[in-house]
Amino acid sequence: MRVRLWAALASALTAALGLIVLLGLLLTPDVADDEGALSADIIRQFNDLADLLLQLATITIALTIFIGILNLVAVHLGRLRRRANGLIYSVVLLVSFGVVVVSYVVDREASIIILDTVQFSVESALAGLLFFALVYGAYRALHHAVTWGRVLFVAVIVLILLAALPVDNADALHPVRDWLLDVPVSAGVRGLLLGIALGTVVTGVRVLIGVDRSYRE
Amino acid sequence: MTMEDVGLIVGFILTLMVFSYLLGDNVLYRLAVYVFVGLVAGYVSIVTVESVLIPWFDATLNADEPLRVGFGLLPLVFGLLLLFKSSQRLGFVGNVGIAFLIGIGAAVAIAGALTGTLIPITAETATIETGAELEGLLIFFGVAASLIYFQYIARTDAEGKPRRVLPVRLMSVVGEAVIVVTLGAVYAAAIITSLTIFSERIGFLLGGL
Repeated sequence: MRVRLWAALASALTAALGLIVLLGLLLTPDVADDEGALSADIIRQFNDLADLLLQLATITIALTIFIGILNLVAVHLGRLRRRANGLIYSVVLLVSFGVVVVSYVVDREASIIILDTVQFSVESALAGLLFFALVYGAYRALHHAVTWGRVLFVAVIVLILLAALPVDNADALHPVRDWLLDVPVSAGVRGLLLGIALGTVVTGVRVLIGVDRSYRE
Repeated sequence: MTMEDVGLIVGFILTLMVFSYLLGDNVLYRLAVYVFVGLVAGYVSIVTVESVLIPWFDATLNADEPLRVGFGLLPLVFGLLLLFKSSQRLGFVGNVGIAFLIGIGAAVAIAGALTGTLIPITAETATIETGAELEGLLIFFGVAASLIYFQYIARTDAEGKPRRVLPVRLMSVVGEAVIVVTLGAVYAAAIITSLTIFSERIGFLLGGL
């Protein structure tokens, strides 16, 4: 019974807060009808309330991120204490974490240079490695079974890559590439975005009206 | 040796360590990734505390009004409630904290999808510019076909098998082709981007040598 009461409270909280924030975000003063129920004052109150709730949610999320990072540090300290396998990785992680925090307290400029250097180097090197994974993936697409979809997929990749070559003979491919990007790719991207948006709205409404309660499990 | 010089040497070593992955998963690659994770975790925690948490608690907990102090404590209360989720016996208490975030998150997602994607893209697709009527119609048809491709409503035939009507099947094939072309173009763009970054890194390594 006690558990059900908490579950009902959670559902009510989700629906109430969600509806307030939704109205606060969607209603703007230009839809105000001062003779009806939706006066400009009421809309402004909804906007203010939505702002406040969004601020509370942002701070709560920031707090959970901070707790998550503390947990990461605690897990690696625990591995260090237990002398678990892969100890060196935990040591490296904790040292780099400590270097950033300490250098930020002592000298902010140095901390930013350290972060920029490591972040830029590792991120760009990882993005460079992606090239090999992508090319291998395209090769694998045709390696197992040849279907019309896979042939079309690889043909589009080859065409766009050839058109990107900085040689004179590639000019003939430019109109085809431009048409592909302007018409079918534009349509496909819009279709995918609309599909994602429709899915988001349906899932959001299901959560707000209490049909989807998987977050309570 | 200046801080910039040290940065260049560290960048050189880290780039080599990451590229060692081309020879297979190895200790050097993993060390580079752990260095990266540690640094990013440190930086994110600094930014979170300094730019988000301290200003909030400074503005609320130091205020004279009890109501403002109460508001300031609310994120702490929700944060504490979320910690209960890790307990098997008291996990239901944590649902209140989750419900708070899910309710607001769902509302933001709905508002964002409606005002940021659904309404503008639908309006743009329904508008055909003068002089580009054919392209406009093809885009409209392509969008409709790609949306139809993702619907799975079908009638059962005499044998009890689900079967879609012919126009829907045809549109679905066109939609599949449009999506395949789109994903192919996105894939090619990703290859070009990663190749550009890779060549820049190789240039950096050769310059360092």
